[in-house]
Parts: sequence; C-alpha cells; structure tokens
Amino acid sequence: MKIIRWWGISAFAVLIILAAAIWFLLAPKLIASSIEEFGSEALGAKVDVARVELGLSPLTVGIFGLQAADPDKPMQNLLEVEEVTFAVDLDALLWKKIVIDELNLSGVKLATARAESGSLGGGRRSSQLVDQIVTIEMPELSEADLDAAVEKTDLITLKRIDEFKSRQADIESRWQNALDKEAFNARQEKLKREFQRLSKRAKKNKLNLIKDRKDWKKLKKAIDSERRQLTGLSDQLKQDRQLLSQQYQSVKQGPDDDLKAVMGQFGLGDGVDGLVDRYLGPKYTPWVKRAIEMAQGVQTNNSGQGAEQSGAAVLLGERVFFSDEKLFPDVLVKKMNVSGQDINWDLEGGGFNLGYLPWLTGKPAKIDLKFSGNSLAAIKIDSNWPSAEKMTTKLDAKINRWPLSELPLMETPEGSWLLSSAVLAANAQGNITLEKIDLVIDFSFSSVQLKLPENLIGWQKSLADSLARQSKINFKLVATGDLTDPKIKLSSGLDKLMQGAVGEQVKQKAEKLKDKVKQSISAKVGDIGDLSNFGDNLNQWQSQLSSNDSALKDLLGKIKI
Amino acid sequence: MLTILVKLLKVLNSEQSPSQIAAAISLAAIIGITPLLSLHNLVVVFVVLFFRVNLTLFLVSWPIFTLLGVVLSPLSESLGLMLLQAEPLIPVWESFYNTLFGRWSNFYYAGVLGSLIIALAAGLILYPVSQKLIVAYRHQWLDKLEKFKIVKLLKTSRLWQMYQSYSG
Repeated sequence: MKIIRWWGISAFAVLIILAAAIWFLLAPKLIASSIEEFGSEALGAKVDVARVELGLSPLTVGIFGLQAADPDKPMQNLLEVEEVTFAVDLDALLWKKIVIDELNLSGVKLATARAESGSLGGGRRSSQLVDQIVTIEMPELSEADLDAAVEKTDLITLKRIDEFKSRQADIESRWQNALDKEAFNARQEKLKREFQRLSKRAKKNKLNLIKDRKDWKKLKKAIDSERRQLTGLSDQLKQDRQLLSQQYQSVKQGPDDDLKAVMGQFGLGDGVDGLVDRYLGPKYTPWVKRAIEMAQGVQTNNSGQGAEQSGAAVLLGERVFFSDEKLFPDVLVKKMNVSGQDINWDLEGGGFNLGYLPWLTGKPAKIDLKFSGNSLAAIKIDSNWPSAEKMTTKLDAKINRWPLSELPLMETPEGSWLLSSAVLAANAQGNITLEKIDLVIDFSFSSVQLKLPENLIGWQKSLADSLARQSKINFKLVATGDLTDPKIKLSSGLDKLMQGAVGEQVKQKAEKLKDKVKQSISAKVGDIGDLSNFGDNLNQWQSQLSSNDSALKDLLGKIKI
Repeated sequence: MLTILVKLLKVLNSEQSPSQIAAAISLAAIIGITPLLSLHNLVVVFVVLFFRVNLTLFLVSWPIFTLLGVVLSPLSESLGLMLLQAEPLIPVWESFYNTLFGRWSNFYYAGVLGSLIIALAAGLILYPVSQKLIVAYRHQWLDKLEKFKIVKLLKTSRLWQMYQSYSG
C-alpha cells in the first residue's frame, strides 16, 4: 500500500502560497481596520485611515491619511497625520518582535475640519459627562427633620465627654493614692523625730556631731529622697494637667465637628467651599475628567495579563510570560521623526527608544516636540525603565501661547457654557514612578471670549458677569500619591467667582440651617461648661505637693552639718 | 446533510485501509480542538496532504471536532495554565520559548497548550479505536446490517441512489 501522496507536497505549497498572497492582499485592510477600531475605542471618537501600503523588500509600512476626530467637536479632527512610514527589521520579526529603526510622521496637523462627523454610533462616553448639568439645590428642611437628623447621629461630643470624664476619674483616684496625707505626715514626723534626737545629742556634746555624722547623712538622704519623689509627682501632675487640657479642648471642639458632620448629611459639610468643590471639580470639567479617565484606562489596560482571542473558534486563552533571551522589546521604535505645519504653527520633533516592554530597550525613552510660529509650545518626556520594577518618567511641558476655540466649560439647565475663543498658556511639571505620581499642571486662559446660554438668572447671571470681567482664568491641576489611585485636585480662579456668585444665596441658607442644627446639638449634648473646672483638683494637689516640699526644705535647712 | 452521510458511508465501505481513515479522524481532532491559526496545524495539514490520509473524512470530521474544541475551551485553558505555571516545567517552557518554533507555536497561550494536550490525547486514543471500529464494521456489522429490513427498505430510497451515483 502506498502511504505517500506526492502531489500532496505541491498542494501544500500551493496552499501556503495562496495563504501568503491572501494575507498580503488583506493585510493593509486589516492594519487599517485595527488602527481604526482600537484608536476609536481609546479616543471615544472616530479614527480613520485612508490607506495602508505594504512593501516587501525591505518590509515597509506606510499609513496615509490618519485622522482622529475630536470627541467634543465631531466635525473637527483632534489630530491629522498625512503620512506615517516605517521599515520593520526582519531579523527581529523572525522572533515576533517589531523593531523600527526610524518612524516618520509627516504632515501633522491639529484641529482640521472633517468631511463627515467623527462621533461614534451610540454616542461617545464623554458625552455623558457633558450631559451632567450643574444645578444648585439647597435643602429645604423643617426643624423636626433637623432634630431627627441630630438625634440619629452618633455625636462625637458625647463620646469625647465620656472619655474626658473617665480620664478625670482615673487621674483623681491615682492622685488620692499618691497624695495619702496621713502616710506623708507619718513619714515627715519620723524624719522630724530623728532630727530632734540628733539635735539634742549635738546640744549635749558638740563631739556628738562627729559621732553621729553617719546618722545625719542618712537623715539628709531620706529627706532628699522624699523631695525627689515630690518633684516626680509634680512633673506627673503637670502631664496630667496637659492631658486633661487637651481632652477638654477636644470636647469644646466637639459641637463644631458634630455640626460639620450633620451639615454634611445635607451636602453642606464644607459650606460654600464644599459646594464649589462639588460643582467645579473635575466632575464638571469634561476635558479634565476625560484626561483622568484616559490615564486610569491606560493603567488598567497595562496591569492585566495578556489575554488574547483568536479569530478562530477556539480561544488562545491567557498568555503566560517567560524570560526572553532576545533582550529587546516586542515593539521598539529606535527613532521617531515628527513634522507638521498649520496656519498657526510649525511642528518639529521626535523621540528615541520608544519600546514595549520599555525596560528591554536598555536606554531611556525620550520624546521632544516643539511648536513654533503663532503657537509656542514645547513638550519633553523622559522615561527611564532600568528594570520591570523601576520606572521614572519626567514630564516637562510648556505652552507659552496656544489659541483655542469652542472649549466646553460646563453645562447648566439653560445650556452650554463655552469658551468661544481664548489663548491657553500652560506649564506641566511632573515625575511619575511605578508607585507614585507627582504632577502639577498650571494653565490659564487669557483673551477669553465666552459663549453663554441666554436668559441667565440668579447665581448663573452673577457668575457670567464675573467671568466676562476676567482678563485671565487660572487653573491648577495637582495629581499626587499612589499611581493606581492618585489624589487629583483641580483648583481654579473659577472657584472664587463661583463662590462670589452663589456665595450669598448659599451662605444665607447654610447659616440658617447651621443655627438650627447648632441648637439641636446643644440640646442633645447639654452644658459642657462644668467640665472647665477640671483644674480645681489639680491646683489643690499642686498646692499640697508644694507645702509638703516646703516643710521638707525647712527641715533640710536646719541641718547644719 | 444527506450528502455528508453518503460520503461517510462511501468512505467506510471503500477499499481504503482503516489506518488511513483512522488517521483522518485523529488529525481532524487535532486541527479541530486546537486554535486554527497555530503553527502545529500547519504540520497537521502537511501530514494530511503528504500521507494518504483520507481527505473526505478529514474534512467531514474537522467541523465536528471544532465544535468539541469550543465546548472544551474552558477545560483546555485551565489545563494549559496549570502546565505553563507548574514550577518544574518552567525551565522547559523557557528554553522552548527561546526557539523559533516555540516563539511561533503560541504554546505560551494557555488555550493553545491545553487544547493541544487534549487534542493529542484524543488523537492517540481515536486512532486505534476508530481503526478497530472500521475493521469491525467492514467484517462483522456490514453483512448483518444488510439483512435488516430497514436497510433493505433504505436501499430503495433516494439516499441509496445518491450513494450509488457517488460510488459510480
């Protein structure tokens, strides 16, 4: 029986050639659709690629007409790159690694017009943020509601009073033992008797002074020891006084803390400041919120192990990583050149050693971009990964002048508040490690032209008037702490304007509520004035200690030897 | 469906050796249970074409085993993950990962390794079992089957006509 099918070799070869040809024909479309799919998902707006060209010898890739739509302005591109070209190193590709000696991005443009809308079907994620409308609703509460809220609250003042009283009782019992008057008198009497005995003997015969010198010394020693004890007790008393005093201050502070806690239940914990934080924090500044979300998204994506899916029916499953003897990253761009031009600026710059996994590049990654012309900006990023466990990235970005238009500020029920035109200046400095982030971005808008909703009234009208009078609006974004959960604080000149606009209205209502809550808390806590007498006992003990000490001092003074 | 059944009957009743038919089933199990775009499947396709493996049965069995592969996916992934993370095996995986074949084989994906182990086991079991079943079918069951009334009835049916036209 023949077991070999010779034509099978030809069939296999044809199959392989056919598969390679199909791949080569389909690859440009696959690359384009991958860029569009992943880019759109990351950006929240359409990313389009006009065409991709592949060259075989050497293996080159050209991506033409790359457009990334602006999520806020679907008819405008955030970024447009005419041409991205690079050659792939075949030796590295043999090991499933993409090494690019030189990546060229030319014809980079920002904010170009789009022929069709760049919004994603079903709406972008960020639109949900813009849709969050700023409304200020003050709680209207009856006295019964306030009393009930105070009644329900576990007041900290009461806890502190209990702690204070318990401490006071503890100290009192300790001092009663320590200052046992009878015991002290008995000891003092004993010392006096010894003194009188020795004095009599000395009067009888002066030579006894020499004979009894050991007894005299012993007596002196006993008096010194007694006085040292009294000094120790006196120090202890001072400490107790300090402790009680601190606790008393804490009790006195209690009603204010309780007031804050109860007011917090009505959303007024920090008064006007709290309201400003609530309404003008990152939550209501869509572009800041989006930047934060993107940063958090990047972290989440990087933290997971690679789980890939195959196009075939059976899944590839989770990837397990093994140590790689080919010590270069899976993707490495050794050099990147970026150039572009717009009406307002010329862009020149590039980067070096951009790799994934970055610690395998062996050299720090650098990105350096410079915008000149009407818009002036410079961005420098320096990222060093000596190992997988250690990373230091330094960001230094300065924007001296960058004209902006149609920037969303916030949404109120009356409509959108937009910066129709402004000039941005910014300074971002920061250090990021795998554990910590320390980033400060100062930015300001000058020459501000506002586009506001019509028929504004109340605090909104006041805010609009104040905004119109501003020559400059400053912002400061600070991100610090743990990289996985950074503390992000946005403060701005708008805070004060907002405070001014809503301040009076909020203040009046907040004060009214505050007084009612204060009364309710006082009724529950009762009078804490009695506690201020805690010093009386301490004074009495102090005077007893002093009088004992002075009696001993007198006795000591009489000893002439 | 009928055509597939007819093809199957034709293969079983043909004069092809049972080992050629059994090899088709075993190799279809490997290509079906494991992710299609894996390097080892290129070897399987080469073996199928180069050796006289029954192509009809291979092509008929492949989708069936693919369905089985999908069902077994969770099991494959846990088995693969267990093997890839087993301490004593790590040096082996590491040295294999640093070979060209290892790098392109995708073995470091839990689903690939797990399903390949299951598929190889299935293939090794299916080969002798199906060989014996085919021999038994041809020598013992075929004559007996033909005596059944239902079979006689079937011979007058469209299915039989199709079979006859296929066997030519």
